[in-house]
Amino acid sequence: MRIWLSTAMLLLFTFLLVPGAGAATDSATCFGCHGSMEGDVKVEQEKYSKSVHGSFDCVTCHMAPKGDQHQGLGGAAPDKSVKELAASLAHKSTKDPIAQSACITCHPDLYEAYKKSVHGQNVITKKSTDGPVCTNCHGSPHYIQARPSAESKVHLFNVVESCGKCHEEKHMSEKYGFSPLVMERYLESFHGRKLKLGHAGAPSCASCHGSHDIKSAKDPSSPVGNLENKKKTCSECHSGATEKFVAAITHKPLHPIAHWSEIGLILLTVGTFIFIIIHVLLDIYADIRDRLFRKGGNH
Amino acid sequence: MDKNIPQEIERFDLSVRIQHIIMFTTFLLLSFTGWGLKYAYVQPSSAWITIWGGAKVAGIIHRVAGIIMLMDFVYHQFYLLNLARKKDLRLTIVPMPKDVIDAFHNFMYFFGFRKERPYFGKFNYMQKFDYWAVYWGMFIIGSSGLFLAFPVTASMLFPAFTTQWIWDILFIMHSDEALLAIVFILIFHFYNEHLRSEVFPMNWMWLTGKMTIEQLKHHHPAEYDYLYGKDKKK
Repeated sequence: MRIWLSTAMLLLFTFLLVPGAGAATDSATCFGCHGSMEGDVKVEQEKYSKSVHGSFDCVTCHMAPKGDQHQGLGGAAPDKSVKELAASLAHKSTKDPIAQSACITCHPDLYEAYKKSVHGQNVITKKSTDGPVCTNCHGSPHYIQARPSAESKVHLFNVVESCGKCHEEKHMSEKYGFSPLVMERYLESFHGRKLKLGHAGAPSCASCHGSHDIKSAKDPSSPVGNLENKKKTCSECHSGATEKFVAAITHKPLHPIAHWSEIGLILLTVGTFIFIIIHVLLDIYADIRDRLFRKGGNH
Repeated sequence: MDKNIPQEIERFDLSVRIQHIIMFTTFLLLSFTGWGLKYAYVQPSSAWITIWGGAKVAGIIHRVAGIIMLMDFVYHQFYLLNLARKKDLRLTIVPMPKDVIDAFHNFMYFFGFRKERPYFGKFNYMQKFDYWAVYWGMFIIGSSGLFLAFPVTASMLFPAFTTQWIWDILFIMHSDEALLAIVFILIFHFYNEHLRSEVFPMNWMWLTGKMTIEQLKHHHPAEYDYLYGKDKKK
């Protein structure tokens, strides 16, 4: 009797949880497994539900999940643009290129800008594995926060770190010819320091270089790609920026004159420290000596 | 004791005392706010800057304090000119060859080769060092600070060939020499005017402006002799 009852319940749940092919699968079904799995396939349901896309069903993006275990699960058939993008991202996005490409369904304008950017060109046209797709900058697609949120990977205070993931890599700077010290020189600049301290007016990488439509700084159409654009970009904060002014920021290594001036000033500073410390110590020594051995000597 | 010799003499008049108060108040404000930016990547810099009202407010405090300090410095030059006009200006703070000899004698005394401190004048070489360090700071840190505060204007003053390195140099000048100034004050000035056993916890002259005649005789014998003459000494 009990066995019959259990079997009947199991069958009932099986039919409830696995709807027939063609019908959209709801997130609860997915979280039944993926909420408690380990590793890459785990998705934290609570964190997901608080993300900007938290109200979506999983199959909104994972339209056609692979593998036998997903048989009968899925959403609407991907449209032409998603399929095309998925094909061109397949070398970069090995897990689920369809899901990676699904962003363009709702964000076609950003995709258009990205496609023309130096990043998009590299990934889509040149089929390189270097260069970011959406999730490389925005973080895990399951936990994306809106940019004003401090948790967003592209928030003003976090975006520098996101860019740094590739741009402080030596092999990247060698391959693509940007300054190997670009991150270091930015971080030690007034801009970088102010941003670190939470100055909302301080510029991040994206403030000057752009984001989805980013161009190589060597590309004349970049906001920092030629003199006129540089003047315009700098003027957004420093009104009246001139040709001489915009030359200030290059992210290049220190010029030899600056380098040797720095060493000169450090020597001067250290030399003065040594002199005053010795002077003070000797003064203390003479003071103690006189008090102990020379009554009324110095005092 | 001779009737003509007073119990104490005024070393710093009221104007100088006020100049000093403005100087150290702005110095502390500049140090506190600037330190957070210099060591932005050393925790707890962000928390420290929050105490000063956040990066934006701290930046405003820094700029305002810097301009007040520069004005204090400029005022001091007019104060000196006014003393000169009144024929009241003695060049007692100007470094002289005797200061090198005094320093040498002082080290001899430290090492026990001389029984007495050197025959110091109104200001000894350490005090002169302290005084002229402010001039160094004003020219190096003050000028670079002004250029960095008004970069667009400053960029027009610099010739084109300097643009590749001038900003880095200005930044290093401002930041490194500020560290030098802070450490100099913390070690040299604080030891001489606060921690030294005979003045601890502080040399009250910054408020009273006065020094007893015994102290003058002991620490600045040349000045005592200048004022009251060797024959009046006993």
